[in-house]
Amino acid sequence: MLNTSDIRKGAVIRLNNELYAVVEFQHVNPGKGAAFTRTRMKHLGMGKLIEVTNKSGEAIDIVSVEFQTMQYLYKAGENFAFMNKSNYEQIEMNADLIGDDAKYLKEGIDVVIGMYEGMPVSIQLPKKITYKVVEAPPAVKGDSAGGNVTKEVICDNGLHVQVPIFIKEGEDILVNTETGLYSARA
Amino acid sequence: MSTWKELSENPRLKKIHDERIQILKAIREFFWSAGFQEVETPLALRFPGQEPYLNPVPVRLLDAGKNIYDWHLRTSPEFALKKLLAAGYEKIFEIGKCFRGGEDIRGTHSLEFTMIEWYRCPGELTDIMDDTEKLFKKILRKLGKDSLQYNGREIPALQKWQRVSLKKLFRKYLKVDLDKYLEIESLKKLAEKVGQKVSDTDEYEDVFFRIFLNEIEPNLGLERPTFVYDYPARMCSLSRPTNDPKYAERFELYVGGLEVANAFGELLDPDEQKRRLEADQALRSKLGKETWPVDPDFISALEELSLKRALPAEALAKAGGIALGLDRMVVLCTGAKDINEVIFNSISDQIC
Repeated sequence: MLNTSDIRKGAVIRLNNELYAVVEFQHVNPGKGAAFTRTRMKHLGMGKLIEVTNKSGEAIDIVSVEFQTMQYLYKAGENFAFMNKSNYEQIEMNADLIGDDAKYLKEGIDVVIGMYEGMPVSIQLPKKITYKVVEAPPAVKGDSAGGNVTKEVICDNGLHVQVPIFIKEGEDILVNTETGLYSARA
Repeated sequence: MSTWKELSENPRLKKIHDERIQILKAIREFFWSAGFQEVETPLALRFPGQEPYLNPVPVRLLDAGKNIYDWHLRTSPEFALKKLLAAGYEKIFEIGKCFRGGEDIRGTHSLEFTMIEWYRCPGELTDIMDDTEKLFKKILRKLGKDSLQYNGREIPALQKWQRVSLKKLFRKYLKVDLDKYLEIESLKKLAEKVGQKVSDTDEYEDVFFRIFLNEIEPNLGLERPTFVYDYPARMCSLSRPTNDPKYAERFELYVGGLEVANAFGELLDPDEQKRRLEADQALRSKLGKETWPVDPDFISALEELSLKRALPAEALAKAGGIALGLDRMVVLCTGAKDINEVIFNSISDQIC
């Protein structure tokens, strides 16, 4: 059996005969003491989030998941369509499984999809994604008193993000998908 | 703070970096004005620590004579700093990089990070708590702030910080007397009662943290920074017993549920220390981890220190020391989202 060191985002874990996809995991080492892994995972089907703590090295029932690089194509109703870059096959994934990550999807970007028994179960985004700013309010004079003034812009995929006031319409920016925040100009 | 490009084009990350510089300066000012001396100790070690759950990073050094030294990078400067106490230094601090393999490179962890350690000899654990509290307050005043931030939460930090024993926390959150759970059998029963599964291979410490991490830790330091002190003696391989020998002199600092520092009333008994380190080494081996000898020079440094302890009452050498994660401190002081935002060109930045 596999153990805690095999846990990664998108892995599927069987717990009490139910399947969960790993949303987030974190190593916790209290002081110099024992090391633990805290895993937040989502029930496949019900969508309920649970959190479990395992001692590092503890056996975990990770079901076989294949990770494939796919290109995001388009949104089709409640589903998102992706194309497998190695065999050009297309799959659709439900919005519930993608969750909050859906807002970062943009036509043509590569993501890693976890496949379990031929079905997509998880998605991993690149750490940083480039977007074109399509709507930006002009900078207002006198705004800069705090030194860290931001404004909200809209990106080419509809994502709303806070950026520094000097960012203009038409510019390409990088957004960090781990923090959800503006990183730099692309 | 990530990349140079982010520093030049992202005022928020630039501000975090500027504040990190201010913090580093304030730390040095604080220690020098409190009579501490700044020291430097080696990163590459022939005999690293024995902590069963840490993974020192291997490093290969080659000299001009083509001799190969397969050593490890330090996981903390602890042993070296205690050797300096044996050399007669009474108040010392070090700010430096440490490495711990096998950890995350996001959230609150990084394989390479900066540690601040300081020691007082003579010194009590309460002195170290006072130092810690004063240090944070000095930094906040310098930054013109009155609270720390973590996970979207503001934790007021200029008033008096909380100091609470583990025993009290067990009473508050689990309604039990920790005295009755200092043996693994009883503690396992308690774990099961609160819904934590335990395994046959669990050591006392494992069961303890299964309970602590789930039932207690998330509540710590939410209203104000909190020192948790007096840990079960069997969990503290580097600290001395309290007046009640069931417990040992150790504290941890929590802010907003995040562990920031770990401190010990240092164990100075060389024979006892050697015994405990060898037990840790045996556990490493049992866990299938790389092992190496207990640093003999560290044990002889303790022999020297314990001789000093035999001097008249005045010189009764007690030592206190602490390891505080600077990057986590910067996260708390600046409101950064994660540790990668406060480390320039972090490992994660270099990958992406």
